[in-house]
Amino acid sequence: MAYIGHGGKEIVERVMSPSEAKEKIKGLTSVEISNRAAYECIDLAYGFFTPLEGFMCKADVDAVCEKMTLADGTVWSIPIVFDIDSKEIEEKGIKVGDTILLTYTGNPLAILDVEEIYEYEKDKISQAVLGTTDEKHPGVRMVNRMKDRFIGGKITLVNQIKLNSPFDQFFYTPKQLRDKFAQLGWERIVAHQTRNVPHTGHEWLMKGAWFCSHGDAPVVDKDDNVRLGTGVLVSCIIGPKRTGDYIDEAILLAHQALHEGRYFREDVHMVSIALWHMRYAGPKEAIFHAILRANLGCTHHMFGRDHAGVGDYYETYGAHRIFDDLPEGALKLKPIRVLEWWYCPLCAEVTYSGLCGHSKERQKFSGTLIRSIIKDGVKPTRLIMRPEVFDAVMESADKYGFGTPFCTEEYLEKRQPVFEVPPLD
Amino acid sequence: MAEETYPINVWINEERYAKLQEAGLADMAKEKLAGMKVLELRVTPEQKDEILKRFPMAKFDASTTKSIELLPREVKDKMLEVAIEKKSVGPDAMEEFLKIEEFSKKYAS
Repeated sequence: MAYIGHGGKEIVERVMSPSEAKEKIKGLTSVEISNRAAYECIDLAYGFFTPLEGFMCKADVDAVCEKMTLADGTVWSIPIVFDIDSKEIEEKGIKVGDTILLTYTGNPLAILDVEEIYEYEKDKISQAVLGTTDEKHPGVRMVNRMKDRFIGGKITLVNQIKLNSPFDQFFYTPKQLRDKFAQLGWERIVAHQTRNVPHTGHEWLMKGAWFCSHGDAPVVDKDDNVRLGTGVLVSCIIGPKRTGDYIDEAILLAHQALHEGRYFREDVHMVSIALWHMRYAGPKEAIFHAILRANLGCTHHMFGRDHAGVGDYYETYGAHRIFDDLPEGALKLKPIRVLEWWYCPLCAEVTYSGLCGHSKERQKFSGTLIRSIIKDGVKPTRLIMRPEVFDAVMESADKYGFGTPFCTEEYLEKRQPVFEVPPLD
Repeated sequence: MAEETYPINVWINEERYAKLQEAGLADMAKEKLAGMKVLELRVTPEQKDEILKRFPMAKFDASTTKSIELLPREVKDKMLEVAIEKKSVGPDAMEEFLKIEEFSKKYAS
């Protein structure tokens, strides 16, 4: 079976066997990398970022910034770069043509074939991708903190990461996910990206997106058995956290609780994770997320208001509109553009703002509001948060969060890592 | 034209409901979101800015509910106390709260 990803390119896994890896890394210059770079090595090596097989060279960064494409014209919106200090390059004598060993927490993770070493104006990246150079923007801060040189070149994993519980249950490579979709009989898959514990507004966003993605496809087979062939892939972004965010474990297990509580049929919903440091690039990040999920095998991706936004840097529905600017066929995956769901006391249900006419009586709610409710020691009503979800959140608080489902300094310092890189034996 | 005000939602747990009942003010709480009780304190734009300055962990939910959220529980407990004393959920109650010494500077929870 051919696994074809974004740009019509085959998904390539660049992963070396342990015996080959042990030989290959002997004598290589090593560079310790950040968590972000480690995530991106894993993503590149398993094909999450197809057609990329490594960190970008300058021509690709230029094209992304100037035209929102790679140098070959494939749509792409966020530079994927490997940053390193020029001092370290000099001290270690790293040069074009070398292969260097990338270590994470002191153990070998990947090798990088050095194709190009270059400088890049950080403000150019920030302005082009984020639309601002304001240091208050977290994506700008990320770019500004990058070191002063980039290395472009292919990545190969030389070690298997060990994912800790509960993340191990939810990590799938693009090939594994596509195999899973085939097993489930899914022909249409809509991605729901999340960094939040699901309230019923989220649940209904997913259900609405399911209907949109299923479209006019049949619902029964020739013998009148229900045969849907459409699924929701919950794709939880696992990346940096700040105090006050929900802990990762609560988010994952709460989504799984929605599944196990049968608020979705077993054959129309599954939960997964994606390793990614958000850039908060709004519309351009929406394009990137669409590409990522296309590589996972999704056919649709749901986008709500201010997707991947922060503050008021982006138009509320900028992430909806950007897809209209793409050339025909540039992206196989279809965006599902959605409005919010709210609670209506007259409809007596959580209902779609695009359909409910009780705009004066409606009661809006948000993830932030729900967090406040939980902080106040109140259990949300089941119409707003399913009791199984609430219970999963509170259990995660005890098991992983040092007593709270929200990130604290203690959690950030002492939490178990998402994954570990063992020594290469 | 009445000045625009913003809500701070004090969600009513058992402890808070007992205090409201004791003061004979249980009616001040509204029902919201399919059966939860909330005391909706109203603040002026200036008070909103001051609260967000003093309580940096809080957030103004500009995109959905247009309310101040994520204030620490103990801060809301105190706001409730002041509202009960003044028998008011309006900006006059918040004015009294903002005078309290303990909450007069930047608050670290």
